[in-house]
Formats: sequence, structure tokens, C-alpha cells
Amino acid sequence: MSLTSVRLTDVVKKQYLYKMKAYSQVFMSLIFIQLLAVLFSMNGVGGMGSSDGNMQIEIKYFSAVLVVVFTMLWGFITAIIITTKAYRNDDFVFVTNRTSSNLSNIVFLLTASIIGGITSMLSTYLIKVIVYYFFSDVSLKSTSVLAAPNEFFLGSFSTSLYIFLFCALGYLFGTLVQINKAFAVLIPAAFFGGLIIDGLRGNEGVIAKGFNFFFMEPSLTVFIIKVIVTAGLLISGTFALSNRMEVRS
Amino acid sequence: MTVIECRGLTKVYGGAKALNNLSCKIEENKITGLIGRNGAGKTTLLKIIAGYLKETSGELNVFSENPFNNLLVSANVIFIHDQMNLPTSLNLKEILDTAASFYEKWDHDLANRLLEYFSLNPLQHHNGLSKGMKSTFNAILGLAARVPLTLFDEPTSGMDAAVRKDFYRALLKDYLAHPRTIIISSHHLNEIEDLLEDILLMKDGKELLHLPVADLKEWAIGLQGKTSVINEWTRNKEVIYTKSIGLDQSYVAVRNDFSEVEWQKARVAGLELTPVTSSDLCVYLTSKTKGGIDDVFN
Amino acid sequence: MILNLDGTKPIYVQISEWLENEILNGNVESEQKIYSQYQLAEIFNINPATAAKGLNILADEQILMKKRGLGMFVTSNAKEMILTKRKNQTLKRLVQEIVLEAGRLQVSKEELIDMIKTADIGEEEQ
Repeated sequence: MSLTSVRLTDVVKKQYLYKMKAYSQVFMSLIFIQLLAVLFSMNGVGGMGSSDGNMQIEIKYFSAVLVVVFTMLWGFITAIIITTKAYRNDDFVFVTNRTSSNLSNIVFLLTASIIGGITSMLSTYLIKVIVYYFFSDVSLKSTSVLAAPNEFFLGSFSTSLYIFLFCALGYLFGTLVQINKAFAVLIPAAFFGGLIIDGLRGNEGVIAKGFNFFFMEPSLTVFIIKVIVTAGLLISGTFALSNRMEVRS
Repeated sequence: MTVIECRGLTKVYGGAKALNNLSCKIEENKITGLIGRNGAGKTTLLKIIAGYLKETSGELNVFSENPFNNLLVSANVIFIHDQMNLPTSLNLKEILDTAASFYEKWDHDLANRLLEYFSLNPLQHHNGLSKGMKSTFNAILGLAARVPLTLFDEPTSGMDAAVRKDFYRALLKDYLAHPRTIIISSHHLNEIEDLLEDILLMKDGKELLHLPVADLKEWAIGLQGKTSVINEWTRNKEVIYTKSIGLDQSYVAVRNDFSEVEWQKARVAGLELTPVTSSDLCVYLTSKTKGGIDDVFN
Repeated sequence: MILNLDGTKPIYVQISEWLENEILNGNVESEQKIYSQYQLAEIFNINPATAAKGLNILADEQILMKKRGLGMFVTSNAKEMILTKRKNQTLKRLVQEIVLEAGRLQVSKEELIDMIKTADIGEEEQ
């Protein structure tokens, strides 16, 4: 009897390719969600108006911030979905162990985040085009990728990191729910409960601080380190949790 | 060489012992039938071997390694069962292509030919198949993977009689050409017994019998005749089944430790000796009472 | 031949009997190589180990002999051995059953012998 010997990296690679094919619906939902976000963005993210008897001025700001927010949510939900039984057990039909399954999921989520980040940035151009045609007196900040490639790449990169952060969060959340269904109620309750308490107290609570920790970071390098360390912690938590999980149908 | 070895294997599922101190050994390149009633622990055993579940206590080695979370075991074992979770977004052809990328010895040509023979449309999706066709497709995966250890859990559920027959024939032919260790669990022993070399009979999470199929056929013998004569003959025997027929006649199945001379004497005494078929024997051995369902009505 | 799978006779015994018939009717001659366990498995759709058991019965009775690395061969006096064996075992057992049944039907031995003699008349000599 000659046994086939396998290397973890090979298996992860195969699983990754398999997942890119098998989970293709995820990208369909990305397109849908981003188009929806673009549509909502047409309302503008901010604006002001003033009227002076017979003259009325209305200023609107347009940005792709909504697209990014939607995409982060998409990343969060996608990560939860791939921890559900229907997806998790897909791996076990073929060659796998829990480590390779988690690793390929992470690589998949990373890919999804990068695609989500790039398309989010591209959607700003879509918004600009639409605004240009449908609104009068438009003042556009840089018009093409080529005009400001740095801005585009930097924007895509940091957006991808944000999305990935949410993916890692969703992945841990989804895994916790798989371990015990009670987490599906407990975690959202804790989150919204925290928000409400913050609101009642009227001061900055843990959750707001957490948001500021990532979203208000002025230094790119520090931001990258923050995201990588946090995502790393979330993911290793998931690894530790799921390593003893059984496959039940 | 031993492929699977377990000692004192116990698996507790929600308070109940699905496997209870099971010890057994499966040898290389044999086709073993895993037989038992519903709830005997067959599927649990297969799931532990496949690395799906972790044993509660005891020891299990597959290729001398514990299968849970083991990449080597996973690469050399395929577990075919009727709840296989195949991605809904891939069609049958794409699933076969994926399987081909995972298994080193995968026979793509065989898989395609079987797909065609069983009239499965390669562009169809797995979740759109009927129960029997799903089983057929899963069975194709199991055959074409050609891994050193193939586990089939009720592979023919939902298949029609013709497909079952074809599948067993395909299994045998592929096994003859590429010998490997195969375990098939089934309720229908009579369908698979000719295919098997060994049989592992389970009851209540334990091993009841593990022996070559040929020996199983001679393991017990049926005696029919006058109840009084039967009682005398079976006084020191291990009786596994009794049934009364008419007023003073009985049929009993006993452990066959008769010598040739005893056989002759029994015949002369007016007893009719009949072999006990393997599937009857398994039913007798795994039933809770010696009289079977009749005991409920007595 | 299709095997009788209802369990009245172990399959490996049926295999060995089939092989004996192949030798008796000359399909496999003396000193010739007989079917391998894999060929038998394929023909009868059975596990090769079962087929091997059928072959081994005949090897033990020296109707077949093993040649290392080459397979099993029919021995030179295989036919006679099969005939003698069948006379001694099969016929003997059948006779015993006849005698038993006769007993149950209260047929005397003389009557039975007469029956056998009359039965013989209709048959051709072998």
C-alpha cells in the first residue's frame, strides 16, 4: 500500500482554488450590494443649502463612503456564511483538516477583501461619472485612475484592510455561533447593548473607542499594523476554537 | 498490514454511547462489510475513521495515525455517505474536476465513463439530482478516487435494483484491478455478501463478530423437528433463535459446533438440518430477544 | 453457471464443484493451468478471497497443484480423484438421505433396493 503524502500548502492551494469556484455566488452578491450602495450614494453624503429670496443654492457632497460601508458589511456577512455547516462541510468531502480548511478560508476572505476594496475604489469613478451627467455645476476631485494612481492604490489598499478586518470579525463570530447557537443572540445583544449604554451615558464608550481606534488613525503604517495584529488575533482565536470541531450533518 | 486498528473506542453522543468500548482491526486490501441494525454505531465508526468525529475515549489508528485533523489520513481516505455536502454552485463535471485535483490516483476517465453509463448529465447540479442519482454520483466519486481506504456508508440507498447490481459489479472489477481496503456498511447483507471478504457485525456500539464471510455461513445451523427432540439436542448449545412451528415442532438456530458424527445422529433422530443464511444469522444475533418480533405478541 | 446464492451451499464449495465439472467435462485438461482467483471473482462476481478458498479446497485434495509464481495447475490424475470423491461423498450422502426418507415413509430396505433397481433400468450406462 502506497500512501499519498500531502503538504499543507498544497492542500490549502487546492482548497483555495476550489473555493474560488464553489463560492462564486459571493462575488455576485458583491456586485449587487455595491450597485445598491452607488444608488444610495446619489443622495449625497452631506450637503447644505441656502436661499436668498430669489436665489437658491444647494451644495451636495458625493462620495463612495457608503459603498465602502456596504462592502465591509458584505465582508462580515460573507465570512459568517462560509462558517456555516453547508460551506464548512464542503471541505470534508475532499482532502482537508481543520487547519487547511481555515487557512484556505482566510486566503479566500483576503481575496474577497481585495476585490471588494478595489471595486469600492472603482465605484468612486462610477459615482463621479453618474454625478457628472446628472447634476449641474460639478466640481470633481481627480478624474481617473491614471491621473492619481497613488491615491487609487492607497485607497484600495486601506479599504481592503478595513473589509478584511470585518471579515476576520465575521469569521470569528460565525465560528462562535457554530460552536454554540447562543452566541448568535449574545454577541449582537452585547454590541447593541453597549451602544445604548454609551448613548445613555453620553460619553465615548468601548465601542466608539474601538471604531476610532481603527478609523481615526492618521498614520498609514500604524493603521496597517493595527489591522494586521487585530485580524491576526481574531483569526488565531478562530483557529483555536475550530480545531476541535466535529463534522456533523 | 493493518489499516485500521481500534482499542476500547468509545463515542458518547448526547449522553448515549454510540460506540461502546469497540475494538477491532481491519486488514489491508480486504473488502469488509460493516453490518448492524440502525443505531448499532456503524456510521459513527466510519465518521471517526474518516476524521469527522473525535473519539470520546479509547484509541483509533488509521494508517498508524489518529485520523482526527490528520491531513495524511484525509488524503488517503474517502468517505461516501448519503449526506455528502457537495457545493451547490458546481455542476457534476466541475465536482469531478475538483475531486481530480485532490486525489493523486483519481481515474478521471473511469469517472467520466461511469457518469455516462449511469446517464448522469455532467452539467447538472448535485442538489438537483434525485436520491438514487445522488447515491450513484457519490459512489462514482468513491470508486474513481482510488484511495487506499474507501468507506461506503449505505452507498446504494435510493438506487434502483439494476443500478445497485451495476455498482457492486463496478466496485468488484475496480477492486480486482486496483486492490485496496474497502469498508461497506449496509442493511442488506444478502446483496453484498458475495463481494465481501470479511464481515464486521456490530451491535450496541460493540463488535459482535468479525470473521470471513465464508465462516459466517457455517457459524450457525438451523434445526427443525419435534420440540422435545430439539430441546434435548440444544441443551448444551448456544441457541440464538427459536421459533415454534405448529403444535409440537420448533425451529432453532444454534452455534454450529457439531461434529460430522453429531450431524448424522441428529438427522437419524429426525431433525432437519439447514444452513442459516448470513443475513438471517445477522438478524438473529442482533435482535434483542431470541424470538424476535413474535416475543412482543406472546 | 449461475451460483446458487440462497445460502444452502457455501459459495466456495460451489466454486470448487464448478471447477471439478470443468475438469470432468474436459474444458480444462490435466497439467493445464486453471482459472486464477481473480478470473473466478470476475466470472462469478464474488470476492477473490472466496474464489481462492474454492481453489484451495481442490489444492488440498491434490486435484490442483500450486506452482510458485505461475498459479494453479490441474494434476495428472485429477479426473479419477474427482470421480472417486464424488462416489464416496456425494453418492453416499444421497443414499443416506434416501434411506432416511424411506424410513419415514416406512419403506422396507428390500422395497427400496427394488426401487433402485427399477430406477436403474431407465438410465443409460455411463
